[in-house]
Parts: sequence; C-alpha cells; structure tokens
Amino acid sequence: MQLIKDFKTGLWKENPIFRLVIGMCPTLAVTNTMVNGLAMGLATAFVLLASEIVISTIKKLIPGNVRIPSYILIIATFVTFVDYFMKAYYPPIAASLSLFVPLIVVNCLILGRQEAFASRNSVHRSIADALGMGIGFTWALLLLSAIRELLGMGSLFGFQVLGNWYPPMIIMVLPAGAFITLGILIAIMNQISNITTEDTHCH
Amino acid sequence: MKNQSIKMIIALTILGLISAVLLAYVYQWTLPIITEQNLQEEEKAVFAVLPGAEDYKKINKDGYIFYEGFDKSGARVGVATMLEGGGFQGMITLMVGTDPESGKIYGIRVLQHQETPGLGANITGENYQRNFVDKPFGDYQVVKRPVDQQEEPYKVEAISGATISSEKVSNIVEEAVESIKREFGGSK
Repeated sequence: MQLIKDFKTGLWKENPIFRLVIGMCPTLAVTNTMVNGLAMGLATAFVLLASEIVISTIKKLIPGNVRIPSYILIIATFVTFVDYFMKAYYPPIAASLSLFVPLIVVNCLILGRQEAFASRNSVHRSIADALGMGIGFTWALLLLSAIRELLGMGSLFGFQVLGNWYPPMIIMVLPAGAFITLGILIAIMNQISNITTEDTHCH
Repeated sequence: MKNQSIKMIIALTILGLISAVLLAYVYQWTLPIITEQNLQEEEKAVFAVLPGAEDYKKINKDGYIFYEGFDKSGARVGVATMLEGGGFQGMITLMVGTDPESGKIYGIRVLQHQETPGLGANITGENYQRNFVDKPFGDYQVVKRPVDQQEEPYKVEAISGATISSEKVSNIVEEAVESIKREFGGSK
C-alpha cells in the first residue's frame, strides 16, 4: 500500500513539473517537439531510477559530509552512460537533444529526490518513488511538447496532423512558447486540484 | 575528527574508481558504434552531393577535409568538402559537392545542426537545399523572396522566419566553394 502511495505521489500530487516546479531547464528547453520531450523524459526517468536504487542501497556507507558529491558522482555516471548509449543507438535524438543530455546531471529533480527520498527510505520505496517521479516528469514533458508541437508546427511526433489551412504559431517552438504553455498548464493544474481538495473537505 | 576525514576520502575514492571503471567499459562498448555511424553518415553525404560517384578518396589539406569522387571508370566526377560553421544556435556541419572544372555546385547536405525545430531546422529540407543545386561559384546573397535560379544565380531564397540560419548556411557554402577553388583550381 505504501509503495502504491509512493508511486502515485510523483504522478500528480507532487508532480515534479506542475507541482514542485523543479527541473525547469530541460522542461523549457527541449519540449519543442514530442520526440525530444519523450526522449528527455525517459532519459531522466532512467537516471532517476538507477541512482535512487544505488543510493538507497549504499546510503549507510556514505559519510554524511560527502553525501552530495557522492550523489553527483553516481548521477553523473548514469548520465554519461545514457549519453553514450543514445549517441550509439539513437544518433538523431542525441543530436537534437545535444548538450541537454549531459545537463541531466544538474537537473535538481534527480539530486532532490536522492536527498529527500532515497537517502532516507528503503530500496523498495525508492524504486516506487523513482518510477512515479520519472513517469510524472515524462508525461508532463509529453503534454507540454504535444501542445507546443501542435500549435507551433501543426504536427505530432513529426507527423503533420493540421493541414495547410493552419498557420503555425512560430512563437510556440521558441523558448517564449515554453513559458507561456507551462504557465497556463500550471494554472489549469492548480484549478483542478483546488476543486478536488474542496470536494474532499465537503465530505 | 581525523578518522572522519579518512572515511570521507575512502568513500569518495572508491566511488570514483567504480564509476571510472564502469564508464571506461561503456565508452569502449559504444565508441566503435559511434565511429561507424559517423563514417556511414559521411559516406552517404558524399555520394548524395556527388552524383555519379562510385568511390571516393578522403584528403586532408590545410585544415580542410576534401572528398574526391570517382565514377566507375575512375574519372573524377567532382570534389566535396565537409565544413563546420556557426549557425543560429550551434554549429552546422555541411557537405558541399562541387564540380571544380565547370565551377558549379552539385548540391549540399546538412550533417549536423542545432537550429530551431520548425524554423531554422528547415535548412535540412529539399526546398532550401534546392537553392544551391547547379549554382556557380561565387558570393551568395540571401533574399526574402522567391528566386528564379536561372536568372539570378547568385541569390539564395531565405527560409521564412529563419533568415539568419539561411545566411549562415550560405556563408558556409561560400567558404567551402572558396577552399575547393583554391585547392583544386577553378579554371583549367
């Protein structure tokens, strides 16, 4: 039961992007196409899962004073692995994400979860947390990039879905479009959770 | 206190060692695949910009990389060069194929770029690259209107919303053409 609760936390209640508003650098930079958003979400989720497993396993062996450098070292190892792996097997995606892959190291979502969760909880609960947060991050990136790609280029996953009648809103694929979309989405999410919490108070 | 620092040093050293070993392993595993892929990309681009070429020879000269393309009988069909230059956001790598004898461009291919998707990224599209097909060597001018290649051979039609990317690419093409002219002689 606890595991399911840990898993669900990241999906909605503490969604990294819409509720915690962390990890904004990749969120704003690479969500201009759905392929990029999905690849970034999955890469981050993998690094999060792998490092939460390792850190929750060896948390007792790491002296408190050097825990942050140790976490960074572990995270950086997995990020470099992902970087090489994408370059070798998915070169077009690696090229379009370019320097944002190595930058996953400094995504505060990952370091934040190690400090707030993996270093204090069991391996099982850390896996549940990492899966929840990773999927939460991925779906948020996907939603953001779907809106931006559809409005900015008239396509989804690179397939043209809107015909020639639609004039693409170029601002949506530029950084400004990321801020506008994210702001509106967060407002909607806040509204939805306001309504749902009011409901629970009534009962 | 002293005990504490020794513990810290040991922990970090061990972690560093493990991660170094792992990464060295991953690097060795992926490096041949990455190199192979780059080579294939390069080969594909050379054949794409040198029509009729069956084989090519890579030449490094004065910091430029040239590819001399040969047809079945071994006659040279043209010279291509791979050149990197600044784009709107990052570096753009181009392959430019030319015929140095008649002094015209066969075509270009974009190998790598980081231009804005939907705008500058259209430099990889046929509509933009067609600008350079059969263009004579020279200085090119990017204009924001449709261009008739027959009447205005030195004009390049910009991608709408991405004038800077269009200009950067045509600058790289100019430099590529310049270097081929220098090394392989424009007029014989």
